[in-house]
Amino acid sequence: MSTTASRAAPAPSSLAASARFKTFATTFSISGPVIYCLIQYFNWPLFTFHPATDRLVWGYEAARSGEGPNMLWYGWTATTILIAAALGLIAMMLPERISRKIPLALVWIFPILAVPYVIYSLMPWWTHP
Amino acid sequence: MAGLISTNTFWTLWLFVHLILAVGLLGALTHQAMAVALPVRQPAGGIVTRFRAVPAAGYATAVCVLWVLTFLVGSYIYTKYRIFIRIPLEQTGHYKTGGFFDFKEHVASLGLVLLPAYWYFWKNAQNPEYDNARKGVTLVLAVMCWFLFIVGHVLNNTRGFAS
Repeated sequence: MSTTASRAAPAPSSLAASARFKTFATTFSISGPVIYCLIQYFNWPLFTFHPATDRLVWGYEAARSGEGPNMLWYGWTATTILIAAALGLIAMMLPERISRKIPLALVWIFPILAVPYVIYSLMPWWTHP
Repeated sequence: MAGLISTNTFWTLWLFVHLILAVGLLGALTHQAMAVALPVRQPAGGIVTRFRAVPAAGYATAVCVLWVLTFLVGSYIYTKYRIFIRIPLEQTGHYKTGGFFDFKEHVASLGLVLLPAYWYFWKNAQNPEYDNARKGVTLVLAVMCWFLFIVGHVLNNTRGFAS
């Protein structure tokens, strides 16, 4: 499948040669899209930013009257990274005979599967009269 | 920056930085995606063949750094988008345009979380065990990057530079 051009790489660094890092990276990347969709669905931002007043508050806070809109995307992304990293760290503790069984194809399948949900979650934009 | 450049110029410059980083990322990812999707069996040939024949593994760290930098700069200017672009878009009834921006932000985050595995697969490009996963994640990231770039471009045309 790959050729000289796409395969030609320097010898892996210590991080890239580490089986534990492989488990962390694949778990993080596989769980990330799933967690992001869940976080967005349940609306669990780590923090909310109010750009008109530069106010940052922990967790979710609705837009306040006279203070402009609120921004949740930063908080959703931060929550996703924290949870995915925690899952990655937990996965690193698993015995290698188990962590080796993580299907690597999920790294690219889950983000594709996340797209229909994301489009659906934006339905108010698409159907606004 | 007060007195040196106007507020409009300040944010336009950041938007420009975001664009430059995005162009670099798009180029690197497109080279890589072509290298894994249409591998070159023989070196040399025409411009398309040469485009596909890049040492793709060498791009991995640059792609990760560029994705993160583009993401951070985009996040920075997003605060101004939310007030000075999105609200007028809604007021003028450009709901689908606004929807595509929200779609873009979600895709950028989904791409961000793929980077650790993407980097690992490319840093172990000699290992055939990762060939399919590396190809899949690279193509997904390349498609995401093109989507982000095109939506950003259209939004900029709607209400971007100097608006």
